[in-house]
Order: sequence, then structure tokens, then C-alpha cells
Amino acid sequence: MEPLTPHCDHTSGCITCGDEAIAMKVLRIDRERGLALCANEAGERSSVETALVEPVEPGESLLVHAGTAIGRDSEERVVA
Amino acid sequence: MKYVEEFRDAELGQVLAGEILAAVDPERHYKLMEVCGGHTHSIYKYGVDDLLPDNVELVHGPGCPVCVIPMGRVDDGIAIARNEEVIFACFGDMLRVPGSERSLLEAKAEGADVRMVYSPLDALRLAKANPDREVVFFALGFETTAPSTALTMMRAKAEGVSNFSCMCNHVTIVPPLRALLDSPDLRLDGFIGPGHVSTVVGARPFEFIPADYGKPVVVAGFEPLDILQAVLMIIRQLGDGRREVENQYTRVVPYEGNLRALEVMAEVFELRPHFEWRGLGFISQSALRLSDAYADFDAELRFATPGVRVADPKACQCGEVLKGVIKPWECKVFGTACTPEHAIGTCMVSPEGACAAYYNYGRFARDRVVV
Repeated sequence: MEPLTPHCDHTSGCITCGDEAIAMKVLRIDRERGLALCANEAGERSSVETALVEPVEPGESLLVHAGTAIGRDSEERVVA
Repeated sequence: MKYVEEFRDAELGQVLAGEILAAVDPERHYKLMEVCGGHTHSIYKYGVDDLLPDNVELVHGPGCPVCVIPMGRVDDGIAIARNEEVIFACFGDMLRVPGSERSLLEAKAEGADVRMVYSPLDALRLAKANPDREVVFFALGFETTAPSTALTMMRAKAEGVSNFSCMCNHVTIVPPLRALLDSPDLRLDGFIGPGHVSTVVGARPFEFIPADYGKPVVVAGFEPLDILQAVLMIIRQLGDGRREVENQYTRVVPYEGNLRALEVMAEVFELRPHFEWRGLGFISQSALRLSDAYADFDAELRFATPGVRVADPKACQCGEVLKGVIKPWECKVFGTACTPEHAIGTCMVSPEGACAAYYNYGRFARDRVVV
């Protein structure tokens, strides 16, 4: 039985949501296939398409949406 | 996570709330629209609206791609999914969206092979793992998601995965915003621009809003301090008499966007002449289809679909909610006939929908207008 609530909720970054992407850290790179093994805040790993943000290096933080890195998460702090 | 906690700092939030209070004109009412469903959720998850003065009102825009999919498209998807050879892959939110007679989840219960995927690439993997089946990916989303579909279609073509195709429902953000701004019953003072759509398209496409309609736009991130700071920036623009596009989310959004993403989208997609939006009607050049170069991978050309337009349920006021004309709790069926478990309208189905956000975070009782 499928759960009634969709799997992708706002806490983990909804897949289809208009807009939300999540920050993931690059662990390992497969340059040949254009993929990188990345981990999210909770340590969950998945392979991510990196064609749109190449070149990437291990340790970098990427903004990932629907399995694809669409940008980088830089480290500028909020200014009140 | 580093650089996340800082953007949820309660003390800094109070400081920003104080600055907003000092910046507003007490004689004036401010009505600001957050375009994106992700913002709607952050606002209610963190209680951002409770920190705002009474005369600053946030209204929710059309920025949830699941919410704006019309029932006829769901019916078309189900028609494809019911082909015996088809594995129909889609994102989780889409499964429960009601078509005219059933949802994809109900079609699955009746025997259709419908599977949830987390990315278009997962759907392509399904196709490679099942060479004797036809795998159809139901693509939807704004420009945030479209590049991911585009890259997957390029991979499918390069690798010759001929049993893979895509039913494309990708939509674009600017045409519905223009349609909203042209709507005579809409009164807005400014826009909180979508953060991650702008990662792809940049902030430049929103320049028409101050230029043609005289309204400020601030592209914002999704943490509570991001949203508060964006509200402050809009109110300061209004107070200073400035009307421009500002980028609050500079740590992620380049003003020009991700040029490589725009290139792959331009190769794989072309604009549809028009597309129906739930509650907003037909909007010209507001959605994408596969380009001629990728026609072999177009599920709508590969499979027969009814292609019938289905009117929204009469009781459902998703259209007014999406336009920001009414608040979710002002809808006649909100929280009674329409709940996340038994949704009538799409705004209740998707966790990003404005109605689901209100329902889940207990806002439904507040200031309810009896109609």
C-alpha cells in the first residue's frame, strides 16, 4: 500500500516543487559518466548529474534538484 | 548543516522583524506575493508571517507545478500508463493528483504499472533495466526541473535508449506572472521571486515586472531569514520609490542564471504555443515540449492520448487561491470536503500547495471567512 503522503516532502526538498533544491556535498566523482556521488544533510547518498556545474571537485557543495546539480551553494552569510 | 542554521537564527529574525516594522508606513497596506510553493511552506513552517506587522500580507502565487497541472493532462498520463507494455514513471506528488475519474495512484491500484522516481535519470535507468518494456517519464516542473529532464533526454538519445520517452509538462515562470499581473482582480505591491528557478534562469527575466508594471521583485532564498530579508528589501524599495529586481539570494543565484542549463534546455525543448494552467486558463508560450530533434522520444507522439480538456470541479477554488484572490481557508471546501487525504483541488494534493501548507501547519482556523 502506497503511503497517502507523498514521499518527497518539504523537509527533504520536494522533487517537483516549483523551486526547491537541496545542498549536497560532493564525495566522489565519476568524470567519464558525468556523475558525482553526493551526500545530503542527513548523510544520505545519491549519484548526481554534474554536467551543468562542471568542473566539480570533492568537498564542494552543490545545489541539487531532481538528481541534477543546478548550481553551487556558496558561503555568503545573511546580513541583517 | 553549516550555513543553514545561521539562516534560521531566531535573534536575527527578531532584528529583521524590527527593521521591517520600522520601515513600513503604518497608513499603508502591503500585499506581497511569494511566487514559489517552497516559500509558502517555509513561511508557515517557521511562522514567518507571525513576525510581520499586521499591514504586511503575504499571498501565495502559482509556483507549484503540481498544483497547476490541469485534469486533462492527468487523464492523458493515465491513458498512456494503461498501455500494457508501459512502465509509467513520475514524481511522488503527481501520483495522487486527481484526474477526471481517477488519479495515477488509483490507476496503479487497477493494474497500471506506475512507479515513483526521484529523478528523470531514475526513469532512464528503469528503461535500460527493462528493455522489453516502454518506459514513459511524466516530466513536470518549472525551469528548476527542466534542465534535469533535458540532460536525461540527451543521455537517452546519445545512448540510443529507444524504449524511453517523455510526456513533457514543463512550465515556465514568466508567462503566468505576466498573466497574473494583467488580471484585473489582482492587487499586489511586490513579489518575492523564486529562488531556485532563478538559479537556472537568473534574475534578469523578472525585469519586466518593475519595468512594465512598476512592482518591485526580490529573488529570495528559502530559509526564514532569507524571506524576512526579502520582505524588508521590498518594503524599502516601496518606501524609497525604487522599482527594481534585487537579488537577496546571491549565495546561490547568479544574476544571469546557469547558462549551460539554458543551453541544454534550448536544445531539447521548444515553447508550446499555449498551455492550460489550472485556475489560470490557457497562457500562451507558458510550457515546453520536446523539440523536433527529440521528437522520437516524445510520448505524446508515440502513444494515443484523449487530449480532452476537463473543467475544474465547481466547488474547488484553486484558481482564486493560485491568483492570490482568496486565502486557502476562504475556499468553500477547505478542510471539510477537501483535505490532504481526500483532495479535490491540486493545491491540497501537493505538499508544496498553498492549501496543504495551511492545512498541515494549522492555519485553517484563522480568520476563516464564512461564505
